[in-house]
Amino acid sequence: MKTPAVELRGVWKNFGNTEIIRGIDLAIEKDTIHAMIGPNGAGKSTIYNLITGRYHVDRGQILLNGEEITNQTPHEINRKGISRSFQVTNIFHRMSVFENIRCGMLWHRNYKYSFWNFLGRQGELNRRTEEIMVRTGLASRRDVLAGMLSYSDQRALEIAITLASGADVIMLDEPTSGMSHGETEQTVELIRKVARDKTLVIVEHDMGVVFDLAHTISVLVYGEIIACDVPQRIRGDRAVQEAYLGTEVA
Amino acid sequence: MAGLVRRHGMWVAAFAVMLVLPWIFQTGFAITMLNQIGVLIVFSLAYNMLLGQGGMLSFGHALYFGIAGYFTAHFLNGVGEDWLPYFPVTLLPIFGGLIGLFFGIGIGFVSTRRAGTVFAMISLGFAEMATALTLILVVFFNGEEGIQTDRMVGPEPLGITFGPDIHVYYLISFWCLVATAAMYVLTRTPFGRMSNAVRDNPERVEFVGYSTHRIRWLAFALSSFFAGLAGALHALNFEHVGFETIGLEQSGLALFMVWIGGARNFVGPILGAILITYLNSNLSDITDAWYLYLGILFMVIVMFTQGGLSGLVFMHEPIWKTDYRLFGRMMAPYALGIGSTIIAAIGVIGMFEMIYFLSTRVTEETIAVLYWMEVDAASALPWIACAAITAPGVAACRRTYPPMANSYNEAIAAVKGRMAP
Repeated sequence: MKTPAVELRGVWKNFGNTEIIRGIDLAIEKDTIHAMIGPNGAGKSTIYNLITGRYHVDRGQILLNGEEITNQTPHEINRKGISRSFQVTNIFHRMSVFENIRCGMLWHRNYKYSFWNFLGRQGELNRRTEEIMVRTGLASRRDVLAGMLSYSDQRALEIAITLASGADVIMLDEPTSGMSHGETEQTVELIRKVARDKTLVIVEHDMGVVFDLAHTISVLVYGEIIACDVPQRIRGDRAVQEAYLGTEVA
Repeated sequence: MAGLVRRHGMWVAAFAVMLVLPWIFQTGFAITMLNQIGVLIVFSLAYNMLLGQGGMLSFGHALYFGIAGYFTAHFLNGVGEDWLPYFPVTLLPIFGGLIGLFFGIGIGFVSTRRAGTVFAMISLGFAEMATALTLILVVFFNGEEGIQTDRMVGPEPLGITFGPDIHVYYLISFWCLVATAAMYVLTRTPFGRMSNAVRDNPERVEFVGYSTHRIRWLAFALSSFFAGLAGALHALNFEHVGFETIGLEQSGLALFMVWIGGARNFVGPILGAILITYLNSNLSDITDAWYLYLGILFMVIVMFTQGGLSGLVFMHEPIWKTDYRLFGRMMAPYALGIGSTIIAAIGVIGMFEMIYFLSTRVTEETIAVLYWMEVDAASALPWIACAAITAPGVAACRRTYPPMANSYNEAIAAVKGRMAP
């Protein structure tokens, strides 16, 4: 069997005495789109935070391309190739849209802590930044301060910063929340395009988006995965229907 | 040549001003003040690398300024007493910078692990420690007396002895220009941008691959380099380094200059350094209440502006970029608002001056000089006069401020209207 892009082995996480994540095993294949669904408070965002190093794992292991990344710092994990977006918009408010996206790109284009490269002269870097800006529909907002953007533009910027790194594993946390119908469609198209040669993990409440995009879906309830399969079989799964989906999708 | 002027116009202009200034202000007093301004521009810009660019509030950045000053003074004395090899005095600021960098790297590693309040408290701790050391390590700091030195050592290429203040003026302004340019370039590098990013949102920075600690540490170290450079210039300027250069007051001075000038704009600290030094040299001779006014100015700017004096200027940038004629309608409301402020200030300052006079006088004399007039501060008349100026002044302020704000908002609305298609 191929090495999964992201793998969780028996992962547990407590906050105080409360068990939030209770023994998760999950393998996400390379170059697929995996959706994580479940009711509010099921632990979806917590899993994101554990994978990307924001929280420490209490027990278990997390692997990226077969290499252990358990409890490394967020920047180490990001450098190894996981880039994530946030459910609550997390951008650089007093910098322009262009600067925001470029910040997402700098490390991954090897600039590191350089204080001798003049940014204005980095043609390739700036060209790629413009490119991401066009793809995420932000080109007309190029020099607007991120803090002044409309909510949906901030959501688009959130995704743009995440994509800028060019990482192999992209994890989006409710990318379409707060977007209009039209904006959601655009974002789904963008995600589909981006995901072509990448592994994509997505947490999403819009079931239309989930069943449209995902190759595999895992269903999380009370910190446990109760089902993990292809969309057709998730739809027919009795346990999933009872616990979460109800009659909504079936 | 024409291209150079077009692309770097500001720098060419700054260079020209720097050359011409001593021809306009020829008195010794003026040159001394200009020298001090040059030193403090470098120091406040260095401080703003932390505060404005990196979002780090330090109460102890004078440590790197002062310690580099002490090392520079000792170095000069060492050369003068022939137990150290000669090193060109012109290049001593680099030596000071390296001293600042050395201590910045060490102390910065510890203090930049956390930002916010923790960082501010650690900086305060180190500042207090350094001040205590000046009294303990007498061999190096020489207690409250400080270290005397002589900048006229070694050969004198082209007759540059650094004896006259004017020689030092050109030395300081050269390094001031170089350091300012270097710090400006730094804001345009990957490090500079990520430093802004750490200021805005440290959490996200970790998720784009950067260690917030490393960026803060680097910003701290580089800032200490420039603070050290300024410290060396200070030592050369005064030929004396005292314990006050290292302590809280000097750090507070940087904070004042940066905040009053404006931390959000690169030129803000320059403006602050010029203004505060100018007022400090001139007003402190005229009035004892100078520190009170400085404090009030500081409070007013913190409370009522976003980004200090440069912030006030640059909030009008969209207007002059769109159409300067929009200012036409703002002239009258602005003039009225500023005029009322001046009237109110005259009355208030008059009362402060009399209070200061009465409480600090040594003799029974009650005749004070107020606004070039002799007044009896013990009689009721001048107090009534001041109150009679203050009350309508304040009332006028209350009436004229809203129209002033309105005229600004209208102009901005007009700008937005023209930008929309």
